[in-house]
Amino acid sequence: MKILLIEDEKELAGSIAAYLQKENYVCEMVFNFSDAIEKINLYQYDCIVVDITLPDGNGLKVISELKKMKSGAGIIIISAKNSLDDKISGLEVGADDYLTKPFHLSELNARIKSIIRRRNFDGNNEFVFNEIRILPENMEVFINGDSVILTKKEFDLLIFFLSNKDRVLTKESIAEHLWGDEMDLADSFDFIYTHIKNLRKKILEKGGQDYIRTVYGMGYKFSGL
Amino acid sequence: MKLLTKTSRYYLILSGIVFIVSGLIFYQLLQRVFYSQMDLALKDEKELIEETINYSDSVPDFRTIFGHLVEVTILYDPNRKNEFIHDTVMYSSEDGKFLSYRHLFVENTSVHQKGYTINIYKPLHETEMLITGIVIVIALVFIALLAILVAVNYFISRRVWIPFYRILSHLGYYDINREKPLELTKTDIYEFNQLNEALEKMSNKIRQDFINLKEFNENAAHELQTPLAVIKSKLDLLIQDESLTEEQMQLISSVYDATTRMSKLNQGLLLISKIENEQFPSAERINLSQVIEKTLDHFGELIGHKEIKVDSKMDPSAVVKMNRILAEILITNLLSNAIKHNLQSGSLDILLTAHQLIISNTGQPLDMDPADLFERFRKSNTSGQSVGLGLSIVRKIAMLYHMQISYQYFNGIHSLLLTFA
Repeated sequence: MKILLIEDEKELAGSIAAYLQKENYVCEMVFNFSDAIEKINLYQYDCIVVDITLPDGNGLKVISELKKMKSGAGIIIISAKNSLDDKISGLEVGADDYLTKPFHLSELNARIKSIIRRRNFDGNNEFVFNEIRILPENMEVFINGDSVILTKKEFDLLIFFLSNKDRVLTKESIAEHLWGDEMDLADSFDFIYTHIKNLRKKILEKGGQDYIRTVYGMGYKFSGL
Repeated sequence: MKLLTKTSRYYLILSGIVFIVSGLIFYQLLQRVFYSQMDLALKDEKELIEETINYSDSVPDFRTIFGHLVEVTILYDPNRKNEFIHDTVMYSSEDGKFLSYRHLFVENTSVHQKGYTINIYKPLHETEMLITGIVIVIALVFIALLAILVAVNYFISRRVWIPFYRILSHLGYYDINREKPLELTKTDIYEFNQLNEALEKMSNKIRQDFINLKEFNENAAHELQTPLAVIKSKLDLLIQDESLTEEQMQLISSVYDATTRMSKLNQGLLLISKIENEQFPSAERINLSQVIEKTLDHFGELIGHKEIKVDSKMDPSAVVKMNRILAEILITNLLSNAIKHNLQSGSLDILLTAHQLIISNTGQPLDMDPADLFERFRKSNTSGQSVGLGLSIVRKIAMLYHMQISYQYFNGIHSLLLTFA
């Protein structure tokens, strides 16, 4: 999988690349508009992560350029501008998703995976991890062939975990993934604990393994054993 | 008190005092003039009587001569000498009441070495009536004059102060948030033009400062986004390190929490400055009950987790004209506030009518001044993770759309009332 990262803030670009490389993606970085145009004209990518405000141009133009080339790459906008206009115009020119800075790397990773999955399997995808088999479109989960009934949040949680296997997921990133930005409720973390407890119980009941580990005060980790 | 009322009142009080004092002086003077006139007449009569006594050594009936009471008696002690004039009161059988008189009394000796006494009584009530008549006429003229003066003064003042009232109403309608600087119309009065100039200068300075502050707020919040994103991403990488000890992990966890708070704070401030800068222009008709239903659904699991009993009575046709995003933020903040500060197994009541939304919830009594509830960074000690911007954002949005927001606490129930036209 090849990913192009267009981000003028070098430190941030470095972090994103480091995180994605652990997922065995090939991640290339450019820091300005002209380099980005050059890269997309020369190479094919599976996914492009683009910042809207670049020193020498607008990230939205990169997206229109890609669309002109009929590129099949998935596109995610990352922007410091938490403005609706950017979001709407970004999605209008053909971006697949939109993330506002600051974001969790695990969230970006999950979004990239979701886009790549949708593109590669035309929606009829399933993904399998050991004894767990998931049909994302139908929201169905099977363990050892047995169907497991999960709530919407438990299902989202499982997908988020599987997209970030062997990574420590902070409570904050899980809360934001499940409830979005406006989640400012003090007791939401207890609530995450309840969801995780239920998810773990449902997997164990069907004879699945216990993959979810607690990481000190930090969060949780879905480890592949 | 209005300026015109105040000046008219002072004018009336001062003129009244002057009127009363000068009236008293006038009355005194008038009385004195009449008395001296009368005393002269009394002395003339006395001289006439004395001459008659000296000439004829007999006492005629002076009463018929002068037309008022005159008593003349021959004294046997010729050495007594006395003369004075004073006021006196005597019973008049004619009128059946006491009347006041001017009384001249003389004891003297005639040419024929005989002592005599003269008493002349001149009635005063006619003079008094005359004085009273004069005073009443003068008073009436004076009062009429006063009334005319006050009225004239009132109308002149009203005319003169017209530009002032125009300036006042201009200032009242002036909104510092609006694009245009304050512009006041010129007048033909020097002082008011000076006032205009001073006000324009001052308001321009305030407006410039206000714009700078708003720009600074937005820029500062904006510029903080990138470093925060860098810190967050580096922390995300750092926690993946398998070799971290538990102690190190605790340290990172603290940094992580602080960063998350800072980032939420920053987003809140950015949102507030965007509302202040009116960067949410598009308004549409929003059905509030739909937004509330959607938000309640969003918080459904949390409400269930806290076992909060929700009771909503909503008018499905309640509509407000506002930006959709802001409407959603408004409702989300109000409801999340009511859930966050609620008790375990508490209640949440929503009442929506055509012009009012009331959200009431059970909860601990407020541990701060209710007046500070909508201020930035005011939060109760119990809300932990909260950054204290939620209700301040609510107020900003309410202000933008001229809605009124107020808070009430009664019997363990907190209520937030949002009134919209």
